[in-house]
Amino acid sequence: MAESDIALMAHLMRRAGFGATRDELEAYVAKGYEATVDELVHPERQPDVDFDLMERSLPEYGELAGIESNQQSWVYRMVNTKRPLQEKMTLFWHGILCTGFAKIDYGRMMSIYADLFRRKGLGNYRELIMELSSHPTMVYYLDNTDNHKDAINENYGRELLELFTLGVGMDGNFNYTEDDVKAASRAFTGWSVNPALPVFPYGRSPWSFRFDPTDHDDSEKTFLGKTGRWNGGDIVNMAVEQPATARFISRHLYNFFVADEPQVPAWKDTPPRDPEAIQILEKAFVDSGYEMSEVMSTLFNSDFFKNARFQKVKSPAEVVAGTIRLVKDHQQVKPGLFPVMKECTFMGQDLLNPPTVEGWHTGREWIDSGTLVERINFVADQVGNLDLPGVQLIASRMTGDNSITSPEAFVDGCLSLIGPVEVSEKTKEALVEHAKGGGEIRRGTEEERSSFARRVGEMLQLIVATAEYQYN
Amino acid sequence: MSTIFFGIADRTFVFDRTVGRAEFSGSGFRAPMDLAVAPDGRIYVANRSWEYRPDGVRVTMLTIDEDYIGQFSSYGDGDGQLIWPSSVAVDSNQNVYVTDDHLNRVSVFDKDGQFLHKWGEAGSGDGQLNQPYCIRFDKEDNAYISDSGNNRIQKFSKDGRFMSKFGQQGSRAGELNLPWGITIDNDGNILVADWRNDRIQKFSPDGQYLSDFGNTGTSVGQFRRPTGVAVDKDGDIYVADWMNDRVQVFTGDARYVTTFLGEASLSKWGEEKLNSNPDMIRQRNMVQNKEAERRLWRPKAVAVDSEGRVIIVDSNRQRLQVYRKEVR
Repeated sequence: MAESDIALMAHLMRRAGFGATRDELEAYVAKGYEATVDELVHPERQPDVDFDLMERSLPEYGELAGIESNQQSWVYRMVNTKRPLQEKMTLFWHGILCTGFAKIDYGRMMSIYADLFRRKGLGNYRELIMELSSHPTMVYYLDNTDNHKDAINENYGRELLELFTLGVGMDGNFNYTEDDVKAASRAFTGWSVNPALPVFPYGRSPWSFRFDPTDHDDSEKTFLGKTGRWNGGDIVNMAVEQPATARFISRHLYNFFVADEPQVPAWKDTPPRDPEAIQILEKAFVDSGYEMSEVMSTLFNSDFFKNARFQKVKSPAEVVAGTIRLVKDHQQVKPGLFPVMKECTFMGQDLLNPPTVEGWHTGREWIDSGTLVERINFVADQVGNLDLPGVQLIASRMTGDNSITSPEAFVDGCLSLIGPVEVSEKTKEALVEHAKGGGEIRRGTEEERSSFARRVGEMLQLIVATAEYQYN
Repeated sequence: MSTIFFGIADRTFVFDRTVGRAEFSGSGFRAPMDLAVAPDGRIYVANRSWEYRPDGVRVTMLTIDEDYIGQFSSYGDGDGQLIWPSSVAVDSNQNVYVTDDHLNRVSVFDKDGQFLHKWGEAGSGDGQLNQPYCIRFDKEDNAYISDSGNNRIQKFSKDGRFMSKFGQQGSRAGELNLPWGITIDNDGNILVADWRNDRIQKFSPDGQYLSDFGNTGTSVGQFRRPTGVAVDKDGDIYVADWMNDRVQVFTGDARYVTTFLGEASLSKWGEEKLNSNPDMIRQRNMVQNKEAERRLWRPKAVAVDSEGRVIIVDSNRQRLQVYRKEVR
């Protein structure tokens, strides 16, 4: 099987999921690239995770009261899902259509919110935004419970336009006016949430949406140049159909799945990194009637995607879930996933609790002196643990003469099986120098095989500490 | 499969009371897995808690009138400690046995929670354990354990000596798929909640398959991952139908009688908690429909006490719901 095919498939699985082991990559390559993309964009063809087994061992996966259980449950899914793009789209939308636990204060509502992205994230964008607008988590998060007929609260109306659909501007121009924000907000008056049970003494219950017609402003409004007695659904329909929305969502897709873009606030005045790619995505978005599975299929099958290897800094969730998948740990429910999950937080991505409604800043902003150390230490601890089946698999699959392996072949083998990872010549020289330092690399005797596995673990630890490994 | 037979009208059930509240320590429960009722009426509840709150792992002791007696054990793998407590039972001396499906052992305590000894080791050989999920004693003080990961039931003396076993992985009659709750009926037969086969199977005391009822679904007489099973003095069978969030009642010959969906009211401990939090009272008063709070949510176990009360571990609501049978 050609290394180039493996490398391309590894790229796809890192972006469309949370990575894959060499065995999995070989199976995907055998299936074919386009067939694999087709499988990814149709998650319903694969079985879901076994909720009964999850909840059997850890009751908190069913109750989902505290935020920690919800975060842990999601990381378990990222690690074990057979529907990798479904989880990746959930993470994608979670970082754009934001709500956060800091305000919601009921973990289960955050998971119910994330489930919206599982259900609709690869479906129709219009339907997604429509359901988002009446989702009790969002309604409460952006204060629409305080948006009244006689005293509007603009929070949801504004963010719907600024962050969820049109974006502030493009090509140097604004996409909407303050009057549009006010009109949108008036249209959403009366969209609220029923009062919910408090935590004591038996725990909370899921919230529900409530529409109060007596609190709804049913008068005429002018929104984006059109006048009518618009309600919230009308606003969503008009916003989704704007060309600016196609641009805005396409730039988000490019930034998340293809290559790092400038941060969102710069998009009004900063053109896309690859305008041609954005045009292709915009066209797929509009032509398909906003069907995300078709947009994603176009994206993954494009040359601009295939040629964009290692042009994105890994997000903390990608680091953590990708590493655990690589080393094949936590494939069943067992104690110990909580501290693994917390690593996402320590690296700067507190899942289900983004810092603001703008979500996380991405790209190089993931990295600072503290989070870099967290990344390297976490991954090095995992890949250096020879008890983990994924590490054993890498060591057992190293090719070369059984008696002596050259340092260069040893480094190449490790780089290939942990990714494949591409490194600079300078980095490669440093890795080879280290490999030489341990003497001849032999696997002839039992003692030599044991030493060989240890040296593989050490080399993997060095690789994950390189700058190159921080890229996806 | 059971014969669906409606109109069994010679007994009715009334809701009796709610017991407990959510707490990580003291007078309440957190992710309760199982309960045992001792001959003196003392109730032992095994709390698994949440992984990130290991301080909630313990056994709570109380009475059905919500007199708090105390708690024992804690999170860990030392003597007398627990990682994943799964069930609790009491022998004729009122020693308390707690299974742990992560540590694959049984820890034994005296009636007040003083650690006595432990037995069991991980494995698949005779007497070894792989995810013990339920322990129950017969009249001779022998312990039956659902050795779930090994898909079998093992019989031990109460000091942990292996005696016999039955069952193997599968879905045919007499085979098991991750068995969970067990009980011993009035004839000494063993009823097993065959968890992933969504049925109850009955075995003779020496492990011969006798019968089964139930299959996968949400209708009357069907189950979604049954976790607990109990039999009362009349032979009626109670099944904690976990993922259907209900308890179903059957006659001894598996005819459907009724379903408990939960009717919880505020318990004594619950009222005490609210009275110390006026803001919670205010919030509760704003809620028009509290129906969801009354219902069972993932009932994990069911037991019948010496007065015939049916006590349900309403696990995700951190409480017990109690029904009383009235026979005409």
